[in-house]
Amino acid sequence: MVSRPIYFIGTVVIMAFSYVFFLTFFNEGQPNKMPIGIVDLDNSSLSRQFSRNLESTQQARIVMKLSSHKEAREEMQRGKIYAFVEIKRHFSVDALSSKRPAITFYVNDGYLIAGSLLFKDITYMSAATSIGMERKVLRAKGIDERRIMGIIQPITQDTHLIGNPWASYGTYLLNVILPGILQLMVLLMSVFSIGVEYKERTSREWLKNADNTMFAALSGKLLPYTIIFTILGVIGNMLLYRYMRYPLNANIGWMFLATFVLVLSSQAIAVIFIGITPVLRDGVTFAGLFGTLGITFAGSTFPIEQMPSGVRLLSDLFPIHHYFNIYVDQALNGVPIHYSLSSYLIMLAFLILPFFVFNRLKNAAIRQNYPTK
Amino acid sequence: MLQFVRITQLNKFIMNTPHKTPSRNKIIAILKDTLNVIKIEFRTLFKDRGVVTMLVLAPLAYPLLYCGLYKNETLIDVPIAAVDCSRSQESRELLRHIDATQNVQVISKFSTLTEAKQAYNEKKVHGVVYIPADFSKKLNTGDQTTVSVYCDISSFMYYRIINQACSNCILAMSNQIQMERLNANGITGESAKIAASPIPYDAVILYNEGAGFASFLMPAILILIIQQTLFLGIGMITGTSREENRFHVLVSSTTYKGSTLRVIIGKSICYFSMFAAWSFFVLQFVPRLFNLPHIGIPFDIMMLMIPFLLSTVFFSMTVAVFIPNRETGIVIFMFMSLILLFLSGVSWPESNINGFWRAFGWIFPATCGIQAYIKINTLGADLHHISFEYISLSVQTVIYFITTYWAYRWQIMKSTRKSLNKAEITE
Repeated sequence: MVSRPIYFIGTVVIMAFSYVFFLTFFNEGQPNKMPIGIVDLDNSSLSRQFSRNLESTQQARIVMKLSSHKEAREEMQRGKIYAFVEIKRHFSVDALSSKRPAITFYVNDGYLIAGSLLFKDITYMSAATSIGMERKVLRAKGIDERRIMGIIQPITQDTHLIGNPWASYGTYLLNVILPGILQLMVLLMSVFSIGVEYKERTSREWLKNADNTMFAALSGKLLPYTIIFTILGVIGNMLLYRYMRYPLNANIGWMFLATFVLVLSSQAIAVIFIGITPVLRDGVTFAGLFGTLGITFAGSTFPIEQMPSGVRLLSDLFPIHHYFNIYVDQALNGVPIHYSLSSYLIMLAFLILPFFVFNRLKNAAIRQNYPTK
Repeated sequence: MLQFVRITQLNKFIMNTPHKTPSRNKIIAILKDTLNVIKIEFRTLFKDRGVVTMLVLAPLAYPLLYCGLYKNETLIDVPIAAVDCSRSQESRELLRHIDATQNVQVISKFSTLTEAKQAYNEKKVHGVVYIPADFSKKLNTGDQTTVSVYCDISSFMYYRIINQACSNCILAMSNQIQMERLNANGITGESAKIAASPIPYDAVILYNEGAGFASFLMPAILILIIQQTLFLGIGMITGTSREENRFHVLVSSTTYKGSTLRVIIGKSICYFSMFAAWSFFVLQFVPRLFNLPHIGIPFDIMMLMIPFLLSTVFFSMTVAVFIPNRETGIVIFMFMSLILLFLSGVSWPESNINGFWRAFGWIFPATCGIQAYIKINTLGADLHHISFEYISLSVQTVIYFITTYWAYRWQIMKSTRKSLNKAEITE
């Protein structure tokens, strides 16, 4: 196993690189101070005050002052700004003379994350500006200060994010992507390590060393990977829940267990892939396609229940989908463990699969009747 | 690209000259060699089931598969629960409005939050709206009241959709009550409108009006599929020929200075022409088929593909030289697809990627390719708007052409040396 660099790269190097990449990439938690533009045709103290208010929001930063709508739109098409605000001429005069001048803003939802975060902040600031003005108007009308809030906003909304109070973007993604890469590498490396015995025509010796039992041969082959990938996965859990302090509302042991079962079930699927055709090249192609699809089928990016019917059944075939359910129930929502038992059991059920291809693998190992390239 | 142009010019030149001189014979020989390389490359490519899967099946089937999975742009009727402690006409009206939205559906009502929590734990609902007991009373006495919304955030989509649907309904009801209260205070008509919103605001969503998920993510995935299949396919072919140790056999004439170029140009024409056709299908046809954004000028997209595909081809050919076996490429580089998706700056905004990773991203043609394609296809930009990306891709083409040349030259020299050594030994 230590003879070729691929074994080391495919386990430790790739996982370490992925951890370093994603943790340094999302260390901000949320994208802050994204570039926006302003078309201020009024240039009054009121419009400048509004610009300053925009600057003070968490997500927006005014990087350019533009002279026309057309110019602003072109900067948006160049990707230099994700939103711009337009303040018309005579804005200040109109506001003071009760002519209701409008603030118009444009957000680019072609970049959905940047667009929707900026939408929220700019809406908030525009509403706040209007409310500030409204308060002045109502005071001028001599309305009792106590009643003013009731008039300005009769019903307020208070939003609670269950389990992830900071709405950190990293939390959404990394809890799926890192285990996603783990299962991809488990699939690929397990297929590779078995398939290479067939490809290099060493399968007879491999089987002989295991007293001619497929079970022993496979266990001996896969156990080192089970250990390495479980350790790497647990390190990943520690990085997410201890180092990054992402929400963890259950005992971290349940996530360790989920990681271990994810490694085991992915290995079981890898055996199926190499068992169907004991040809290395087909095995790694299947494993690679299945592993990358797994990240979509986990259900974090777009909820599975809202995908076309049939996809839901298909998603049950991906261990990472069950891992994601455990993460949601345990780490995020902290619900009692008995809700997650079925997810653990389904993942363990994948371990039955390899027995169906034992004979096939054994015959192929002895006869060596499959192409090697 | 330059080489490509030079070849076509040569082609014309030869066709227009009736008399053949020795130097022209040489040119014809060069062209013959190149054509021969193209022919051999196509033949090896289509004989190999694995390579056909990667270079033909995957780039054509993957876009359809992913578009199918992400077909639904937004969430429809997400089930939520209501805890109505007010049990008044007003609270029922608010819940009715929320239920009537396209995005959420109130499927059950509970009298306590604990009961609703139970339904949430069982994944029957993805959110809870809580209306306090004094809701109606406060509305009637002119005070301010608060409605709480609890959102499932296992997926960003749940949070966005539930929060948005609820706040739209709450805001609408709030505005209506505001008018009534202003009227009650003797402010009516136009002056009530002015008092309610002295500075109205108008939000316009551009380029992805429905804030759709597929419209946002799929264009990036399409470009990524093109780069990754091309890269892994080339890795597979090169790995195979290394295993079979027939690197030099691809060159018909014996090793002399010009032959390296012929091999590279021949191979790159083969990959380029194939993927030019695929990218027409993937980038022009697929967006129209699945109703993804496609407001760009088709010609501009195809112009963009020239430096993008060429830089990807040469990048892949350079890296592939270091891939020892045909399977190694997939094992080692499959996971990069995910990293590249984030480096492209489409989900996490480019402005917020730190300097180191941004520089790292410039190694890969997909980074600029994705940005440029989204700008043309989704935002309707012209070629001059994406001049930065276009120049970057052209620079990458030149750099990776040079590195490919070095890498191939090094390989060809090595194999010649080996065969020479062998010849000496046998003598």
